[in-house]
Amino acid sequence: MSYVVKQPDQLSKWYLPGILKGLGYTFKNMIKNIFGLKKMPTLNYPEEKYKYGPRFKGSHILTVKKDGSLRCTACMLCATNCPAQCISITASEHDDPEVEKYPIKYEIDVLRCVYCGFCEEACPVDAVRMGPEWQTPGLGDANFTYDIQKLAYRANLKGGIQSSLDDKERHEAGI
Amino acid sequence: MPKCTINGQEVEVKEGATIIEAFKKMSEDIAHYCWHPGLSVAGVCRLCMVDVEGARGPQIACNTVVREGMVITNQSEQIKDIVRWGMDFHLINHPLDCPICDQAGECGLQEQYMKFGKYDPEMGLQKVKKRKVVDLGERVVLDSERCILCSRCVRFTDEVSKTNELGIFNRGDRSEIGTYKDKPLNNKYSLNTVDICPVGALTSKDFRFRQRVWYLKNADTICNGCSTGCSVKTYYNEEGLFRVKPNHNEDVNGYWMCDEGRDLYKFANKESRLLKAKKFDGSTWEEVSAGSAVKSLSHQLLETIKETPSKVAVVYTGQFTNQEYADSLKSFDGLGVNNFYHWMNNQASKDEFDGLLIRGDKNPNTKGLQNEASKFSGLKKLENLFNELESGNIETVFVMAPENISAYPEYESHFKALSKAKNFIWMGANQTSCYESTNSSNTYLIPLKSYVEKSGTFTNHNGTDQNFNYVTTLVAGALTLSEAMTLFEGQDLDFEIRPKIYKTMKNNHFTSDRGEL
Repeated sequence: MSYVVKQPDQLSKWYLPGILKGLGYTFKNMIKNIFGLKKMPTLNYPEEKYKYGPRFKGSHILTVKKDGSLRCTACMLCATNCPAQCISITASEHDDPEVEKYPIKYEIDVLRCVYCGFCEEACPVDAVRMGPEWQTPGLGDANFTYDIQKLAYRANLKGGIQSSLDDKERHEAGI
Repeated sequence: MPKCTINGQEVEVKEGATIIEAFKKMSEDIAHYCWHPGLSVAGVCRLCMVDVEGARGPQIACNTVVREGMVITNQSEQIKDIVRWGMDFHLINHPLDCPICDQAGECGLQEQYMKFGKYDPEMGLQKVKKRKVVDLGERVVLDSERCILCSRCVRFTDEVSKTNELGIFNRGDRSEIGTYKDKPLNNKYSLNTVDICPVGALTSKDFRFRQRVWYLKNADTICNGCSTGCSVKTYYNEEGLFRVKPNHNEDVNGYWMCDEGRDLYKFANKESRLLKAKKFDGSTWEEVSAGSAVKSLSHQLLETIKETPSKVAVVYTGQFTNQEYADSLKSFDGLGVNNFYHWMNNQASKDEFDGLLIRGDKNPNTKGLQNEASKFSGLKKLENLFNELESGNIETVFVMAPENISAYPEYESHFKALSKAKNFIWMGANQTSCYESTNSSNTYLIPLKSYVEKSGTFTNHNGTDQNFNYVTTLVAGALTLSEAMTLFEGQDLDFEIRPKIYKTMKNNHFTSDRGEL
């Protein structure tokens, strides 16, 4: 195996030239930023916030049906597909035979979640989506295991996001 | 013994065997739903089509008997096309809701349509809607939309359980499986219909929606519900056992098992188990690990037992393996103890037999216990021990308690009666509330392993020795009887990384390897 050993040149042995060169670069940028604030590439977070597009894949949303109940059928394909294994679902029998199966527990441990979007991809009924929210901070006692209440009915969602897939319509269409 | 050629390979089959049996013998792939090796031939699904050289057209393999010199193939383009369109007929009214369906992952229909790429049926008309959640009986739920009318379940109730509860009602695409009015599917073998259902139409109430099958691993073991000793497959994951299904074993249970046996995974799960050893010194209970409990027991009692072995009684139940009986009997014999008692739970009904599988003796290994004990001083009846306890001749009682306590209605009363001994050692797998009411001021409760956590041999009712292997660990702190006796003798455990395995252990496949349909 061959490799290159870079020989230190004579100039870099000296301390001052290097330091002065670096300071020069720093001051050049400082003056540039003072007189051209608008061109500065960084943001003063959290006072200033970057606006992502509406298709940004952030916090999960569980969609709802027209009557406001959960769209999820507890098929567990998202939990199966999840590479971080952060989704845990408990299924149960529904009173309505048309619905048959629904989740009584749906929890996402967002601290384990890697926001890959595989759950959204795996879902056969458009029940789980990645929404545009991306700031989900919390203090020390905050709960980062999101349950159904948080995922489907949090205040930001204004009563729930409706799923694009409706069982009734599908049944009427004869599928 | 006719010979035939299947997909270019020659095979010799039994006289009267059908082509599909020859395919199975060769492990060649052939699509089929209605044919089941344990049932009669119906020939309704029309998927097992094969080309026979010289025949007028395609034949169904399940109802064509092999004749000498037949040349059979199912690899021709014509046959593949026929099966593909036969498949489409099955999908006309099938909802194809695999993600919700409980059978997904072990479904014959899913496997086939994925293979043929028929993800959407090509029928233009609306699907016929049928009843969704039909309560067929105590244990089985029917979804008639998913049913493909293979009639396996109907034939099962006709031929095997001979109870005739199920039938196919109506005609054409309105045909449905159903029960007669006032006669639900309540026979003792009803869950076999769920096993043989090739789709998700029949589901078990107990297992329905509890786990997706791809989260479960499976391993073979022997059912410990009665002295028949059916070969079974247990399905489990790290949370515990979830269900039990029969394994094909021609000599013992054929393709079936009883419903009662399917509930037996419950007592082995962690919720109903004794997790730690408990010591009671007359006033307080102390929880310790099983090993240290047995060691302190040995420290306390070993010398006393050696001095007066006639004051010691050992009570056995028929729920342990032959190896455990041999080990424990040997060590007690070595200490000079020869009072061995047999706790038989249902003396009156132990020889009953229902003609198919269920036997009255609800212990898997009564025969094994009797065989092993006959090598030593034999077994006495438990009733004698109660008298001996009353008269004070016995001071120390060891009880090897049963794990399947639902078959022991007298479990609690016997616990109380036996705990009148001065030193009382109860070795068992289960946790019950009766332990608090012990009468002995020196009580030890030692947690033992259940049948899925150890390897060993059960001897069934007709004396057949059946080996079974370790499946999974549910309670890590529990001991086998052999281990407990080794510790009691004052020796240390010779730890093995994996438990002893008596036969080559089968790999645990995920259920994607579904085996027979």
